[in-house]
Amino acid sequence: MKKAKNQPRSPKASAKESAAGALAGAVVDLKELERLMAFMAEHGLEELEYQRGAVHIRLRKPSPMVSIPGAQAVLHSIPQASGAREKRAGGAPATAAPAEDLHNVKSPIVGTFYEAATPGADPFVKVGDRVKAGQVLCIIEAMKLMNEIESDRAGEVVRRLVENGQPVEYGQALFALRPAPGD
Amino acid sequence: MFRKILIANRGEIALRIICACKELGIRSVAVFSEADRNALHVRFADEAVCIGPPRAADSYLNIPSVISAAEITNVDAVHPGYGFLAENANFAEVCDASHLTFIGPTAEVIRMMGEKDRARREMAKLGLPIVPGTPGPVAEEEDALAAAQTVGFPLLIKAVAGGGGRGMRVVRKAEELLPAFKAARHEAGQSFGTANVYMERLIERPRHIEFQVLGDRHGRVLHLGERECSIQRRHQKLIEESPSPAVDESTRNELGAKVVKALEKINYVGAGTVEFLLDESGKFYFIEMNTRIQVEHPVTEMVTDIDLVKAQIRLAAGEKLAEVVPRIEMRGHSIECRINAEDPVTFAPSAGHLTAFYVPGGKGVRVDTAMHSDASIPPYYDSLVAKLIVHGADRTHALVRMRRALEMFIVEGVKTTIPLHRAILADADFQAGRIHTGFLDRHLPVMGK
Repeated sequence: MKKAKNQPRSPKASAKESAAGALAGAVVDLKELERLMAFMAEHGLEELEYQRGAVHIRLRKPSPMVSIPGAQAVLHSIPQASGAREKRAGGAPATAAPAEDLHNVKSPIVGTFYEAATPGADPFVKVGDRVKAGQVLCIIEAMKLMNEIESDRAGEVVRRLVENGQPVEYGQALFALRPAPGD
Repeated sequence: MFRKILIANRGEIALRIICACKELGIRSVAVFSEADRNALHVRFADEAVCIGPPRAADSYLNIPSVISAAEITNVDAVHPGYGFLAENANFAEVCDASHLTFIGPTAEVIRMMGEKDRARREMAKLGLPIVPGTPGPVAEEEDALAAAQTVGFPLLIKAVAGGGGRGMRVVRKAEELLPAFKAARHEAGQSFGTANVYMERLIERPRHIEFQVLGDRHGRVLHLGERECSIQRRHQKLIEESPSPAVDESTRNELGAKVVKALEKINYVGAGTVEFLLDESGKFYFIEMNTRIQVEHPVTEMVTDIDLVKAQIRLAAGEKLAEVVPRIEMRGHSIECRINAEDPVTFAPSAGHLTAFYVPGGKGVRVDTAMHSDASIPPYYDSLVAKLIVHGADRTHALVRMRRALEMFIVEGVKTTIPLHRAILADADFQAGRIHTGFLDRHLPVMGK
């Protein structure tokens, strides 16, 4: 990681506010919002944070980032023996949860995994926690943007499959959940 | 020199770049989509990162994903290959802003050459010949004749808003001009809502000739001679060779010197290709510049013995041309056939799983491919299966070698252009070097059977 970029936890980046909260008391140009939304669409971004003076804007697409149709099916069909896995960035252990009763939450983007909003803070979730669909599980930093990764299922966290600060690739399993009954 | 390079591409060119990295002692990082998890570039790179789903727009063309992969793997430079992001000025800028060296020219030069009209105007200013034409639309009948005489006959009248041949007329003599001018304006008005037309000299049966160049970060540019790529179908090149049977040494030196001078003025850095049409009277016309490594770069490598991809990397790292290319010696003749997974007659893409794959070898034969006997050609990307390249003492020897190599190339499971290549190689006009960009479309009905 380049030094200049190795400050994923700058207060600016991690100051999470709802869009409504951030906009209160500040004048926001609608054109500017439209421009940001167009930028997101153009680059396929799920989430975008932007700060200009007192204005702090955070935009997120309504669909949960983790629900990528087809991603799961593709990943399960891939033989683990592929040589690439062993060489993957950061030497990620590719051990996924057994498929029969556990559900893997996968990374929708390439980036760096963080278990908490700021260094030293409590992790978003711990093994044994029960989580709801849509609940934030972790952060993936990509190009200096903090992307909150939400659970696509309700259930109990059985395993965290990556280390804090570890690079992860697209589709990599992050957490194994035991799905809640009926979910 | 760089420590580690990310290769923002797939297929044979990604492998080609990995070869260069290995020989230079640089670590390589492959990126791949879910469709390419078992691809060879993933296997041969030192590290590999999955950057998205199969669709190119979500993976190989997704700038944030590629840059993010570069960041987590801590590379110093990005090689874009050809296609995908190779001529995307915005990508070059994002690399710059992320403190990554983009292996190629500056974003500004990429942008300029990407706007084809602007590129022609700029290069004309810098001394390269362009196809004569009117600088803008011609509106009045009384101006048309004077304009036509400046442009020269035969000429094309084209609709400014045109496309698909509508509002277009060929004019061979001054007497034909006014009726054609009126007809073209009428048709343009009907088809496009604006009657504006312009004129351009018609180049009949042109040959496609391109110059390979290299530039360093210290203001120096050199050329490595030309390639002839006249065998093409709808602007897709199929066979390339170097040198061109239509270019002699004095022509090469003269035009090459003009190319070098023009590119030194714009501080061109890296590998690039300057494309010309050559008319039947021996005149050249600049058409465009590609600011990247070309698919057909191996034919130049075979005759110059210069590794163009290694040169690209060393020049991007700041080495001087005099060190990277101490001398240029052209030797023999090289031909490349592009083996595509396509129906040889209809050119319909033929994606699928290979059931047999055997490549020819022996003296003077090179095959650049990312395929193997159990590989799949996914439907998401281009249809290139392999580049078959031969080198011989002269064109005749190279043709003999290509014929036997094509006989010994086996691809089963998908349809390929191999039968078409065999037919072209057997053609008397091709063998004699009597070719032009319309050659294939004219001969296609009888070929490829």
